[in-house]
Amino acid sequence: MSLNKFTSDIIQDSLISIGEAMFETIQRTSMSPIIYEALDYAVGITDGDGRLLAQGNGVITFLAAMSLVVEDTLKRFGEDNPLKEGDVVMANTPYAGGGTHLSDIALITPIFYKGERVAFTVNKAHWTDIGGTNPGSVSTVSTEIFQEGMHFPFIKIKERGTLNDAVVKMIEANVRLPKSTLGDLFSGIAANDVGAERIIKLIDKYGLEAYKQAAEEFMEYGERISLKELQKIPNGVYENTGFIENDGFGNGPFPLKLKITISNTGMTCDFTGSHEQLKGPLNLSRTGLETAVRAAFKSITTPTLPANNGSFKHVKLICPDNTIVSAKSPAPISVYYEVFLAAVDLLLKTLGPVVPDKLPAGHFRSVCVTYISGIHPVTNEFYVQAEPLSGGWGGCASHDGNRGQFSYAHGESYNIPAETRERKYGVVVEEYAFHNEGGGYGEYQGGNGQYLIFKILSEEAFLTGAFLGYSIPTWGLNEGKEGSYNYFTVLRTDGTEEDYNVVTNVKLFKGDRVKLVTATGGGYGNPTNRKRKKIERDIKNGYITMEQAEEHYGFV
Amino acid sequence: MRVATDIGGTFTDLVFFDYDRETKEVKSVEVSKSSTTPGEFEKGILNTIKKIGLDLTTIDFFAHGTTVVINAITERKGAKTALITTEGFRDVLEIARGTRPDLYNFNFKKEEPFVERYLRQEVKERINYQGEIITPLYESSVDDHILEFIKEGVEAIAICFLHGYKNPVHEKKLAAYIRTKYPIFEVITSHEVTREWREYERTSSTVLSAYVKPIATTYLNNLTRHLQNLGYKNNLYIMQSNGGITTVEDVKANPITLIESGPASGMLGAVVLGRTIGKENLLVLDIGGTTAKCSLIENGIPKIVTTYTIEKTKTQAGFPILTPVIDIVEIGNGGGSIAWLDDGGKMRVGPKSAAANPGPSSYGKGGTSFTTTDANVVCNRIHKDYFLGGELQPDFDSLKSAVKPLCEALDMTLEEVARGVIRVANSNMVNALKSVSVNKGYDPRDFSLVVIGGGGPMHGAYLGEELQMPEIIVPLNAGVFSAFGMLMSDLRRDYIRTDVMNLNEKQFSIIKSVFQDMKNEAIQAYERDAYKQEDIRFEHYLDLRYDGQEHSVKLKLADLNQLKIDEIEHHFHQLHKQRYAFSLTDTKIEIVNYHLVAEVVVNKPVIGKVEVKGTTVEEALVATEKVDFDEAGIHESHFFDRNKLDPGMTVKGPAIIVEQSTSTVVPPGHQFRIDAYANIIIRKK
Repeated sequence: MSLNKFTSDIIQDSLISIGEAMFETIQRTSMSPIIYEALDYAVGITDGDGRLLAQGNGVITFLAAMSLVVEDTLKRFGEDNPLKEGDVVMANTPYAGGGTHLSDIALITPIFYKGERVAFTVNKAHWTDIGGTNPGSVSTVSTEIFQEGMHFPFIKIKERGTLNDAVVKMIEANVRLPKSTLGDLFSGIAANDVGAERIIKLIDKYGLEAYKQAAEEFMEYGERISLKELQKIPNGVYENTGFIENDGFGNGPFPLKLKITISNTGMTCDFTGSHEQLKGPLNLSRTGLETAVRAAFKSITTPTLPANNGSFKHVKLICPDNTIVSAKSPAPISVYYEVFLAAVDLLLKTLGPVVPDKLPAGHFRSVCVTYISGIHPVTNEFYVQAEPLSGGWGGCASHDGNRGQFSYAHGESYNIPAETRERKYGVVVEEYAFHNEGGGYGEYQGGNGQYLIFKILSEEAFLTGAFLGYSIPTWGLNEGKEGSYNYFTVLRTDGTEEDYNVVTNVKLFKGDRVKLVTATGGGYGNPTNRKRKKIERDIKNGYITMEQAEEHYGFV
Repeated sequence: MRVATDIGGTFTDLVFFDYDRETKEVKSVEVSKSSTTPGEFEKGILNTIKKIGLDLTTIDFFAHGTTVVINAITERKGAKTALITTEGFRDVLEIARGTRPDLYNFNFKKEEPFVERYLRQEVKERINYQGEIITPLYESSVDDHILEFIKEGVEAIAICFLHGYKNPVHEKKLAAYIRTKYPIFEVITSHEVTREWREYERTSSTVLSAYVKPIATTYLNNLTRHLQNLGYKNNLYIMQSNGGITTVEDVKANPITLIESGPASGMLGAVVLGRTIGKENLLVLDIGGTTAKCSLIENGIPKIVTTYTIEKTKTQAGFPILTPVIDIVEIGNGGGSIAWLDDGGKMRVGPKSAAANPGPSSYGKGGTSFTTTDANVVCNRIHKDYFLGGELQPDFDSLKSAVKPLCEALDMTLEEVARGVIRVANSNMVNALKSVSVNKGYDPRDFSLVVIGGGGPMHGAYLGEELQMPEIIVPLNAGVFSAFGMLMSDLRRDYIRTDVMNLNEKQFSIIKSVFQDMKNEAIQAYERDAYKQEDIRFEHYLDLRYDGQEHSVKLKLADLNQLKIDEIEHHFHQLHKQRYAFSLTDTKIEIVNYHLVAEVVVNKPVIGKVEVKGTTVEEALVATEKVDFDEAGIHESHFFDRNKLDPGMTVKGPAIIVEQSTSTVVPPGHQFRIDAYANIIIRKK
């Protein structure tokens, strides 16, 4: 073997480092809090044919989107209408390659070296507002995509270096926060440029041949490692059913069907038989489903290695169009993330018994997003408090379930501190703590869910939220017991309580309390095998009550 | 005579020198190096003192940088700690921010908090965001919890109440109560650690400071005693993470300020050096035995951040600490970093290190891992006669058996593997340097690269070339530069307070009164250490942001008595644009934090020009041997003794310059010059 091997390694590491630079550029220059705080975006570098070379993610929901949106771009700009140097394509079509919901905008920049297309830099980010019926462009009651904002079907926002002013003006006229929305657009274009410049420098340094060879070797590396890991997993056909409990209009539950086939040469995930797409916005696009499948595959093969197209060569998705997980126009889709999590959950629930050392029991399976809007009691300014909530994860073969973690869909997301929340939104947080509503018993106990209770001080306010997992608990694995439920409750000043799960605009009054509850994760392994010391520790720490220990662990 | 000691992960360094009282110029500098002694760090210091027979009765200034705090945390060997917090919030410490950097690992395991739940207790009390008491505190309500803590063997108690940054009255009340009634505990409250908001970050900082308080106190007391026994009569000064020194008593009150004690002093030394030689824009790279640290210095000022996260990795969120730290990026890539192959057969270097014990394979102390240092030995970039300061010869047998598995797996010769290890290590360091420069909007071509630490001068020229930097500076005493930096620093204390309000002229009186409040606190603290009010120099900063945003920008105020709103606004828009690439000139500006820096300038030496000895280049030549410069080829190269090189000399590469604590590599196509201060300046020919 020659020293060129090191050159390839260094080029690959450099590409990953360029991805990091693009990621930081967006975090530094974007103007929407959901991008720079929740890191709801991803960046990618592909080769000239759209094969993923490097990726930076803040959340997992865009794993497949980077390469698929470039592939679709290449289909639309074929030989008769090829992309040129200085072009930037903009796309948010949910039903096409790379699509999620309209709020996530992809920007695709082709990179040329001496006239040859050698790479793409791409990013996709959640813009706070993209127009449509509701502020934030997300609703639990939309019935058509047209209510969910502006649609950019793979258009050139820049052509040969010139910005398309007509489109810019249209965006400005159609969104609620034009300044920050356009700021996000320019931030995304800049990030791609940062990547482009460094890729060209990299090729200058090592030469085009070495760059291409490194890319090939990197694909081959991803493919080889993931296949090697896949081959450690028992062959077989594994089937299961999951549910979307609600379409936003109180109908449901609706089934998701899955058949996974694992052989020595690959894994196939077949969702044929899943319910047809819904009237409400709880639908998922094919790209969203592809991401779910790839994320599941990655988690059982190469969770810590950088992703590239090679790593996904041996996983295949089958699903007919127009289902709840492969929705087509004009299905509304803004709450896709709940369906995405249900798909991931079904995949992991099916694979869990096959690779019980690699996957945990079920986690709380919902982003648990709430939106509260009202007039601030001190500043008299209008506010919208939008936030996901953390909850309990399932136990696994090596440890108890995590407590206080955001869902699988998240990654580098941050909660809102009580101290900043109280100032910004004028509410009073009364409790932010683990509950012991029970469940999750096992050799490894599921992580406790939690309460977030806050009091409204505005004269009136409105509550919107979507918590799935309110009627189906988190699941146990390997004889572990099921966990608990997600839901939220409004505690009125007169002492009455109202329970909710998927709802838009519940009216709140001064002094009302909102209690958000996330589920306890499922247990792993038979509870009778749990070590006594651990049970004692849990009682001492108040993670479980003495009564629960007696009843479910036979603790005396 | 002045002495400074710096404890690193691998070596403990000691530097001492005398300086001219008139010109303040440094006279002869001597260094002593010894292995770090984990568990009993003071031993390593005493070893360096013994080694050169230093008489402490002749020393009038002793400064110390220590890893005792960071070690207690990374090894989880701090005190048994309890937390008392506001009712409803005991789990804030465990929920943390809910973050999971390890995106695709669903078996992810969140790190255990430093205080287990049964030791996190709540009391009824509440203050709102405006600082008003909603629910009063009754101190005695804590008694039952305290009795439980006593039973459990708790040593330290952290107290953190919601909005304690805004109004610490309840924290003060409870701390006073516990300190009086239960003096067996070390007690620390959140407002004593920081007055910044965000309850998780503040709780984490307070808990960590409590966690290290007993161990830091014992260590500093022991060290003080040992030094006194050896005849040292003056104050012992401790290097903090903010680039300033302070007294032992001050550190004991809030020891978390020591978290990056050693690395900060290297950066500060570079600032002083830069000012001396007229270079104010620097990228500083400090390569030690275990890690490489880098930092960017703009206009002669190091960047200070007030949120620092330890143990943050690609898979873990880490633990935030709200304390002022010189902004440093650290990677697990030092001289002792181990080369290995990952599952896919890719060569990796670090983050695992052979550390001081057993050390790289060439040390011959039983180390079986091939490290960056070994690779440099193979390439003869470290000469065998100047290995480890010439104290021992590299053990080639041990080295060859360590590299064997890599040679076999890669089907490569020893030399090829060695070149590969250096390439990969260099690539890691280039990426770290880019992360503090290019990724933040700075062009490395506008900066000089200062390389320090035992490994810095070996890699500097290659890194500088890769980043197209105009010159590489290898300071005099580069190998022990952190210790050197401590002798150049002043006393410094930072006070930070969150008090969110709109920025407008009406608030100027509030701004002044908040700063005055903080100044009074600083004056009191310095007076406790017997410094006079008139010796304190203040700097005022505001952390500002646009209304509705989270990120803030730190802006220095020129003169508190002549605040001009349009100047502040203009300055902020400019800074925001530089940092975040845009400004919003018609959006309201908010003040988030007040930041006061209180410094006392100590009587310290300056870096002086060195005497021209009148030697010739030939006299400095110690050997001529083949050196492997990888892609630049294998060349007969001159080895020079740094001590015999005279200012003004210019020599063409390839060359290696040897000195006791490091070696400087000057590849072919480069040349070096010795400046008036005996620094080596490397440039491309």
